[in-house]
Amino acid sequence: MPTSHRSDYDELGELLLDIGVMLMVSGANTERIKITVERIANAFACVPDLLITNHALMLTLTYPDSNKVFTSVKWMPGMHLNFNLISDISTMSWQIVLEKWSVARIAEELKMLNRKPLYPRYLVLLLVALAGASFCRLFGGNLTEMLAVFVASFCGLYVRQEAIKLKFNFYVSIFFAAATAALVAGVYFHFHPDEVYSHAFSTSVLFLIPGVPMIHAISDLMDGHTLNGIVRGVNVMIMAFAIALGLTVALVAYKF
Amino acid sequence: MNTLLFLEKGIWLGCAAIGFAVLFNVPRRTLGTIFVIAALGGLLKIGLLQQGAVAALATLAGAALIGLLSVLAAHQRKAPPMIFAIPAVIPMIPGFFAYQAMVGMIELTVEKDPVIYSKIFFATVNNGLSAFFVMLALSVGVAIPMLISRKQTIKRLQPDENLEVEME
Repeated sequence: MPTSHRSDYDELGELLLDIGVMLMVSGANTERIKITVERIANAFACVPDLLITNHALMLTLTYPDSNKVFTSVKWMPGMHLNFNLISDISTMSWQIVLEKWSVARIAEELKMLNRKPLYPRYLVLLLVALAGASFCRLFGGNLTEMLAVFVASFCGLYVRQEAIKLKFNFYVSIFFAAATAALVAGVYFHFHPDEVYSHAFSTSVLFLIPGVPMIHAISDLMDGHTLNGIVRGVNVMIMAFAIALGLTVALVAYKF
Repeated sequence: MNTLLFLEKGIWLGCAAIGFAVLFNVPRRTLGTIFVIAALGGLLKIGLLQQGAVAALATLAGAALIGLLSVLAAHQRKAPPMIFAIPAVIPMIPGFFAYQAMVGMIELTVEKDPVIYSKIFFATVNNGLSAFFVMLALSVGVAIPMLISRKQTIKRLQPDENLEVEME
């Protein structure tokens, strides 16, 4: 049945693109996307050639008879970090190799993984706020300062989530969040000028630091994906600039 | 008392890592491991700093420990190492250096007196470079153990009849 095989391979190509995009959006580094897509394609005796950029993924799949190929490009939607999905896809890729899954089964499993529930929103807000307070303590803050950072981080993250929901520009959302967090953190110290404000003020925006792109920038550069590494690095700098701008708003507002 | 203060920092390091882990949606089963890894790596850094080590080198050691433990934890908890490593190194981010460098830059744009200017300039460049090198040390420290351990995984990728389920 050569015809049914062909359509099966075409679906495999689409599926591999979907998997690659899901990995990138969830915050995987370039090498991991390449390895995972290669692993699944090799399980079907196909050879993938991948072009991975931060905004689009291009795949050419050479079939086992090597006289027909599949080529397609897929754009990336906005980033939405989800390490759980990366872990699940990694596990799945090994199961595909070992248990010789069909394309239909992979598609079904992928749909199920994508629907897995995340952490409840308020739990995330509370734990991130606690992380902010922990930072404050690590940098030498006392209980009052920790409390200020807790409230500030909570409000800042809330504003960022809402701004992204309202489809604001990604960097503008970060700016809003940084400004909110710094303004909230500064309120108490504005009315108590004798107390040290710098611990609370500097740690209130730390929940915004782009840790994932920062580490991936270096790991991509070390893996030889120079272009992707540079793009991620520049991205980190723009985010840092947005955070700095948000802090400046509060610095000027309170005349610290 | 000093030891107690030292250990208390471990708790805050762990809490900070858990906050980011939840923000990145890590699998629930990895949360406890992330707490421990973050605390151990961060305490190594703080301990080295107390012994008088340079910030960037202390961070490199702490991040490398986190990278190493993440590779080990990956096999135990069946998840890729980066899932443990990235939330765990975030508490080591040089937030205070970066903040002071930023405030310094704002001050430089308004300062006119050359004597004060050179003083602020010195402090700003010093803080900025410290922040930059500590961040570089963080990323490199985490990447090294993963790059070393990846060799094994590539070996297993080659066609092998007895291929065992192995998370990389």
